[in-house]
Amino acid sequence: MSAQPETESMRPPSAESVADFLRRMRVGIEDGLDPLTAAQRAATELPRTVRRALDRLSRRLQGEYYEDEWGFDEEFAEAVYPLFEFLYDVWWRVEVDDVRNVPSHGRALLVSNHAGSLFPFDASMILGAIMKEHPLPRWARFLVLDWAFVLPFISTFMKRVGGVPASTHNAARLLDQNELVMVFPEGAKGTGKQFSDRYRLQRFGRGGFVEVALRTGAPIVPVAVVGSEEIYPKLADARPLARLIGAPFAPVTPTFPWLGPLGLIPLPSKWRIAFCDPIDLSEHGPDAAADRRLLFDISEQVRETIQARLYESLVKRGSAFM
Amino acid sequence: MSGRRVVITGVASQWGAELARRLERDPSIEYLAGIDDAPPAVELERTDFIEADIRSPLLSRLLPGTGAETIVHCGIRWFPEPGKPSRVLHDVNVIGTLQLLAACERTETLRSLVVRGSAAIYGCEGPAPCFFTEEMARRLPLRTRFQRDASELEAYIDNFARRHAEIVCCILRYQPEIGPGLDSPLVRYLSLPVVPTQLGFDPRLQLVHVEDAAGALEAATRNPARGPVNVAPSGAISLSRILRLARRPFVPIPHPVFGPALERLGRRLGAGPLYGDGVRLLRYGRGVDNGRLRSDIGYEPRFDAVGAVRDFASATGSRRIGPSLHPGDLAGRLAGFGR
Repeated sequence: MSAQPETESMRPPSAESVADFLRRMRVGIEDGLDPLTAAQRAATELPRTVRRALDRLSRRLQGEYYEDEWGFDEEFAEAVYPLFEFLYDVWWRVEVDDVRNVPSHGRALLVSNHAGSLFPFDASMILGAIMKEHPLPRWARFLVLDWAFVLPFISTFMKRVGGVPASTHNAARLLDQNELVMVFPEGAKGTGKQFSDRYRLQRFGRGGFVEVALRTGAPIVPVAVVGSEEIYPKLADARPLARLIGAPFAPVTPTFPWLGPLGLIPLPSKWRIAFCDPIDLSEHGPDAAADRRLLFDISEQVRETIQARLYESLVKRGSAFM
Repeated sequence: MSGRRVVITGVASQWGAELARRLERDPSIEYLAGIDDAPPAVELERTDFIEADIRSPLLSRLLPGTGAETIVHCGIRWFPEPGKPSRVLHDVNVIGTLQLLAACERTETLRSLVVRGSAAIYGCEGPAPCFFTEEMARRLPLRTRFQRDASELEAYIDNFARRHAEIVCCILRYQPEIGPGLDSPLVRYLSLPVVPTQLGFDPRLQLVHVEDAAGALEAATRNPARGPVNVAPSGAISLSRILRLARRPFVPIPHPVFGPALERLGRRLGAGPLYGDGVRLLRYGRGVDNGRLRSDIGYEPRFDAVGAVRDFASATGSRRIGPSLHPGDLAGRLAGFGR
């Protein structure tokens, strides 16, 4: 499995090679061949990159590709990677601290703060940080708000890039398969908070993530993401609309919905992602998962770690946009 | 297993008949009987055929006389058939099961009861867990008639099992079957010349290969486990990949009109409407964990989720006539030529 996206074969063919192909095909047809054979003959002269792209296309159309039991499709993830790479490098100029705290193999639970009201990009940027900066890059899976899996297109997209519906069953099964799993315990409360509450962590659910970590013996890596709060500053909430479409909230930002689709362009804030020291829970054993008090203690410890790191990163980052 | 007396209800169904055929070959089974309201389509050698409607109280008088030690209930119907419209399904599935349980109460020789149920009891929802385990039944709202029926009849069996601790009650929760030669609405749907799908949705499915479906039923008859057991292949496969492997062109249509459109199209092309929770299944999909089937029943499925589809595709693909104009083939020929 190549971790680095294979960009070579994705590049569109140059105009010359297309013209060359068409010219040779015409010659073939004039020689009295049927179009299919002519196309085949002309294709022999195509550059290797084009032939490889055609080969890949053919495999995909025939269903000869790999997707795992969760619907994660690595080739698809690699194909959409350049878009997120652009956001990562150019748009948000992400800086990363201590990426080596992410284990290079085996199970681990990444716990992060959650923000970005319209479309929370923090999962994709953490993913990008691990893929780009880690010495041994690997794809991480992430738990997604349930509501996303009712929606057309979004549900399919999330599934193909490694998202699963937020449920402790899914998280536990993924960790048992030694995957890297990303969770956002704040959930919709984190993404839906007002701009004035930015970088103030909300309640951490019911501590389900600690339960899963204890049961599977996975270490917890707290992650503090700075920059995600400024991409879509949420000024107000259109509650009736949210209720109408069944969404947890319907944000109103300085640009959305005023500028229409243009309002969906996130603001170019500056990001800083910090991976904190892993918290090893193996000393407690799997039976400790039933201990409510322990769950809340650990949950609170993780929350405080992230909150402290957020303040630290905010100071390091300085100005939000420059 | 020595000297077992086995009674199969719903023996005229494909699964009941196949089970009878498999058990007939086993000399350790001394007596084999099949109950249904019509004789099975295949010739059975030593199976006693008893003609009775499962919904009738007559069953309570017939069953004790057979001295059955194992009863396998294959009479649960998933989809309407000619002569059995959807109105009758509820009667057959729920009232039939109730009558059967009443008859079981009077059969003193009974040791085990195996029921061929459905994974529809888990429901079909977008945000559902990706792999249901057996204890997660009824966590999600049951939205279709068939899902509610599946849940209701399991509740009766649970109740029966609680009162009769000496009888092993095993409920098999089947995912939909697939296989060459199988006649079911889902297979007919996959065999449409152009397959409609729901725009923007790509469900994860698990389709049980017919051979594994019959094999699991046989294994559960020989070695029943207490409580529910999921019957599904390992892994999962998305609908778009199924259609690509089966070389079926597909047209996505908006999901609100998918159900009605399929009904129209299906009637014209002879595919029939989808059964039970089919429309929801083709929107959100469903995955179950088959750990209990492998460990407690001891049956290892021969095909995984992708393998079952591949086998189906290779068997149906050979029926194609004329040159293949699949876009994937064209691209492949262009890429592979002159290498």
